[in-house]
Amino acid sequence: MRGRIFSAICIVTLALACRSSVAAPAETLEYAVKATFVYKFAGFVDWPATSFESPSSPVTICVLGSDPVAALIDQAAAGRQVGDRTVAVKYLQIFVRDSGCNILYVAANMPGDAANAARGAPVLTVGASPRAEAGGTIVTFVVQDNRVRFDIDDAAAAENGLAISSKLLSLARAVRPRP
Amino acid sequence: MLAMTKNLLRKKLNPSLALLSALALVLAGVLVTAYEEQLYRAQKVQEVNAQGQILAASVAAALVFDDEKAAQEYVAALRTNPELEAAGVYGGNGAPVAGFARDGSEPLPRRAGAGTSYVSNNRVYTIIVVNQGGARVGAVYLRANLDSIGRRLVRYGGIILLVTMGVLVLAVSGGAQRALAAANTRLESQARQLAASNQKLQAEMQEREKAEDALRQSQKMEAIGQLSGGIAHDFNNLLSIIKGNLQLLQRRLSQGRTDTQRYLDAANEGVNRAAGLTQRILAFSRRQPLSPKPVQLSRLVENMGELLRHSIGDAVRIEMRLTADWAVLCDANQMENVIINLAINARDAMPSGGTLTIATANRSTGERPGLPLRDYVELMVRDTGTGMPDDVLQKAVEPFFTTKPPGRGTGLGLSMTFGYVRQSNGEMIIESELGKGTTIMILMPRYEMETVPVSV
Repeated sequence: MRGRIFSAICIVTLALACRSSVAAPAETLEYAVKATFVYKFAGFVDWPATSFESPSSPVTICVLGSDPVAALIDQAAAGRQVGDRTVAVKYLQIFVRDSGCNILYVAANMPGDAANAARGAPVLTVGASPRAEAGGTIVTFVVQDNRVRFDIDDAAAAENGLAISSKLLSLARAVRPRP
Repeated sequence: MLAMTKNLLRKKLNPSLALLSALALVLAGVLVTAYEEQLYRAQKVQEVNAQGQILAASVAAALVFDDEKAAQEYVAALRTNPELEAAGVYGGNGAPVAGFARDGSEPLPRRAGAGTSYVSNNRVYTIIVVNQGGARVGAVYLRANLDSIGRRLVRYGGIILLVTMGVLVLAVSGGAQRALAAANTRLESQARQLAASNQKLQAEMQEREKAEDALRQSQKMEAIGQLSGGIAHDFNNLLSIIKGNLQLLQRRLSQGRTDTQRYLDAANEGVNRAAGLTQRILAFSRRQPLSPKPVQLSRLVENMGELLRHSIGDAVRIEMRLTADWAVLCDANQMENVIINLAINARDAMPSGGTLTIATANRSTGERPGLPLRDYVELMVRDTGTGMPDDVLQKAVEPFFTTKPPGRGTGLGLSMTFGYVRQSNGEMIIESELGKGTTIMILMPRYEMETVPVSV
């Protein structure tokens, strides 16, 4: 069963996976899945009304630093829609609060506390590695039983003024509940 | 009012109406059951739909993130609901992602199309589209069993039972009403017949009363006519006594003797007796009411000694055994009359002489079988005369029955005696043996209040 869905995802992400010739095929798939997840999170998060100019304003994903996932996010999100919103991807060198980010992907090469800059801002921070836990990203990818899963720090999400859907929370491996 | 109510009731419950009511009841039962069934189906569809919605919401994220395992966990949780026969989760492309179909049931469909809910083949089918962020990300499919026909019948058992009972009650009351109506009609006709025959009877009774009145009158007239012979005889006797004593008195007076008191007394007594006799005749013709008083029968008979000897003559010896000392309640004059009557009868039964025995005795409770248990005084008049044959004995107390030649007896003596005794709560017994004599016993109930002064 699991093999089937993985192959399905493989077909979907075939182009991406094949392009990244440096990585082994399994790892390539993992990166692609993670990259896809990043924009999919947007559908389960409610931002404060001030975050968007209009109901059709795009969701902006900012990528800070670089790793194999970061490289794939752009392509994964291309042409995607979250509700009425399109998805825009920005690659940043440095994160500042008014850079218009809704989701911030902190790449593996960034320092552990890189996400701290976004604390209190209406930004969903997503970390790619366990290292990010100390830095307090809200969503942290974990690989368990050969599956890509994630932990959610709902308390941090509350701090940033975000509401994460219970549907997403129920899918998370672990949730740190909001106070 | 009563008739109106009866009529109304009959109209209310006549058999065809009962049948109609039963049919209406059955129809109502069927309608209620159908309505219940409809409600039940709608409710089931709603239930399954709700479960589908919950599942759809739960698996939305799993579908978005292609988490097949999570989707399977959500679907597997539904296995605990025994009504669900199959449940499936389908991806955005319509292909199955997770699900189960219970053993023996049809497998999950290969694709899930548009959202729908319907009942078919005793099952509820539901497909709910899973939307996330305005886009279709998949679908869930649920198939639930409705209750079996048997279980649903049990559920509607209450209604079925009620309807059956109602129909039964109507049937029974309708039948009973019909039977009752028939019985009523029969009774009515019988009552009419009875009323008619009753009226006829009344008329006949009135006619009979009139006829009896006329007969009684004519009988009385005849009795008076017959009586006059006997009365003349009795009067003659008394007049002889008076005349004889007056002659003796006259002779004594002409002899200048003064011991005349005896004749005067005897003549006087004769006059008194004649007066008494007149009185009794008047009493008979007038039906004078009796005036009962406490009487000592022994003393009453003793005092009649002279009169009896005069009435009977010398050919018959009179024997008296007067032992009774209890009082009885009766009319003394009538009792004398009775005794004279019996004595004269006895005398007539002994044309060639004999013995007339008059006896009184106390008789205690239960001494004679066939009589009420109480004390009474017995008065017995016995002759040694010709006696009576059985056919005469049978008719002895009948009015106007007599064996004496015309002009001698009225046929009323024993009859009157019997009537008088019965009127005084007494009994009369006649025993007779042909050639040996007749015994007549009169039993008068004892008068208990001895403290009252007893006359005679």
